[in-house]
Amino acid sequence: MSEVKRKYVTPGELIATGNYRPISNVIKVNDNFYAIKIGLAEISHEGIRVIPLSGPYIPKVDDLVIGKVVDYSAFSWEVDINSCFFAYLPAQSVFGRNFSPDRESLPERFSIGDLIYAKVVTYDRTRNPILSISGHGLGRVPKGEMIKIGPAKVPRLIGKKGSMIKTIESATNCRLIIGQNGIILIVGPPDGVLLATQAIRMVESEAHLASLMKDIQSLLSGSREV
Amino acid sequence: MVELINEKGLRIDGRGVDELRPLRIEVGVLKNADGSSYIEMGKNKIVAAVYGPKEVHPKHLALPDRSVLRCRYHMAPFSVDVRKPPQPSRREIEISKVIREALEPALILEEYPRTAINIYLEVLQADGGSRCAGITASAVALADAGISMRDMVVACAAGKVAGQVVIDLDDTEDKEGDADLPIAIMPNLNQVTLLQLDGIMAPEEFEKAFNMAVSACHRIYEVQRGALIDKYFGKGEAGEE
Amino acid sequence: MMSAVKRSMVVERLRKDQMVELLSKEKRLDNRGLLDFRDIIIETGVIERASGSAKVQVGNTQVIAGVKIETGEPFPDTPDKGLLVVNAEVLPLASAYAEPGPPDEDAIELARVVDRGIRESKMIDLSKLVLIPGRKVHAVFVDVNVLNVDGNLFDATSYATVASIATAKMPKLSVDQNGQIKRTEEIIPLPIKSIPISVTLARIGDVLLVDPTSEEEAVMDARITLVFDEEDNVCAGQKGQPGTLNFDQVKLAANIAKVKAREVRKILLEGITKDAKG
Repeated sequence: MSEVKRKYVTPGELIATGNYRPISNVIKVNDNFYAIKIGLAEISHEGIRVIPLSGPYIPKVDDLVIGKVVDYSAFSWEVDINSCFFAYLPAQSVFGRNFSPDRESLPERFSIGDLIYAKVVTYDRTRNPILSISGHGLGRVPKGEMIKIGPAKVPRLIGKKGSMIKTIESATNCRLIIGQNGIILIVGPPDGVLLATQAIRMVESEAHLASLMKDIQSLLSGSREV
Repeated sequence: MVELINEKGLRIDGRGVDELRPLRIEVGVLKNADGSSYIEMGKNKIVAAVYGPKEVHPKHLALPDRSVLRCRYHMAPFSVDVRKPPQPSRREIEISKVIREALEPALILEEYPRTAINIYLEVLQADGGSRCAGITASAVALADAGISMRDMVVACAAGKVAGQVVIDLDDTEDKEGDADLPIAIMPNLNQVTLLQLDGIMAPEEFEKAFNMAVSACHRIYEVQRGALIDKYFGKGEAGEE
Repeated sequence: MMSAVKRSMVVERLRKDQMVELLSKEKRLDNRGLLDFRDIIIETGVIERASGSAKVQVGNTQVIAGVKIETGEPFPDTPDKGLLVVNAEVLPLASAYAEPGPPDEDAIELARVVDRGIRESKMIDLSKLVLIPGRKVHAVFVDVNVLNVDGNLFDATSYATVASIATAKMPKLSVDQNGQIKRTEEIIPLPIKSIPISVTLARIGDVLLVDPTSEEEAVMDARITLVFDEEDNVCAGQKGQPGTLNFDQVKLAANIAKVKAREVRKILLEGITKDAKG
């Protein structure tokens, strides 16, 4: 099993030289690989990538996001998804093909300030992302505690095959609804919510550390003994 | 008339010709900004904030294939000896432009089409070399915001004072000296992104000043890196389980 | 410039509901009580080039003020008084909703209300700033820059203005027989007679709360700022926002603000006197 070498990098730094495949957040110049973001560089037989510790949320098709309705027109809601662009939820995709603005009133369904769990169905570089709420669990979010973290930290919060989120959920008896855009909703009993909040903040500040899972486990079990 | 360099080769504040003023950089000093930094370079005190990438308003100013970079360098009224009215002066507008042009080559703007990236610099106290300190702080704020960058950008001025080539001129040396040469470079790619000259220098003086400024820039780059590493990697061992 | 419609923060319905539910139990989203201020941190002497300066944090709201003392002609209708000018700017650094450009109506209101508090409390004895009556007086300029917005700019700006004025120093000027103004070696403070303290409350539904955050301000119906001197006299006031306050609420707000002003005064005085830079 070939090993993975890791190092902290800042933009412009040389990560490695050699015959590697560039994976993400690196620039290849001849055989030199440079970081383009501040983060954790990983060099392995698979290639070189930098896991960024900072950066905006850039939507990808099929991403699940938690968005906030900030406006609406006759034909769609405008949704703030914590990205460079506002997203749109077309009225047609919610009311059906026979939608007509005289019959249905958009604000009655979703009004300004509502939070929705939605999927990104279209996003290319020429227009704003389009959302859909057709799908299991999508739509208006349940009542819960809302937290924002840097979008770059979301993968760490989910963990390998969901390991981190499962650990937090079972220890706190809460459900975590996670948006790829860095918005998280915690649903559960008050003391579970408090503990889950602490765990999420710890993931945010220790995302780059190898000891994170261990530290999270101590945090979660330490509280149970109290 | 003040003696800019004394017989021991020391400058007004006791520095040697190749010595930088005390330098300190802090990362992430403003909560609302997407990225921010604070720099003290000698008596210069400057705050930098980055907002973006975000939608451009009005829309017709957006570019289809890249982000639009905007920069505002502004001096607080209390930053200089004689109070400066708050409205932007012609000098501030020119400096805003050269700073923007100094940072642009380092940013991978093609990654964020139809957006704007805004850089705001506020000089709280000025003492010569504020545009260089501003560029250095801006690059740190851009890295803090997680904007894709080919390289950092770092700046320092060299100049000629009392017939000698020096680096990192303060306000008095700038005003009373013979030449002021601010430069900015991308330190890993070794490319120049800003170069201005105000004053008069012989060709060999220019070359010497340029080389000294580049070397000073590399020293300042280490402080930039250190500040970013401190904030992001403060403790512990790198890795994922 | 009319700006009744500005792009502003939309508070999530969920957060607003939580806020209202907590308020009915006299608590707020950040665990404060209705009458609690956030942490107030005051640092003076932060800009050596200025005659006086102060950096103030009220929670996450961050503000920096600088005083410049110059000489100039007095206003024709007050030939025996020095000049005081207070200017405030919400820098584009401070918030995603702040645009670069000349101060808008909010920033101008902010500067004028803070100015009123300083002027009406007679914090600076302007009559002691005269060099040649009718011809030459000291002009005190206070410029305040908001660096980070998280609500209650009125109080933060006021505290920074007061702290920077209270710790300002200038070379003593003298006038000789020929009417020439000379700098002496002596460094003196500004002639200070009073320390005014500003307290801002917000009304959300039926509840009055002190020191609102940005989120609370986005939801509030009305705002009231009151400024007090050491004798509990009110020397400036401003009601803000299009909502209303009933008569009981005004009286209650005044009583609350009076008590909070005494508490904040202690914090401000501590921040001012620990400036050992002289």
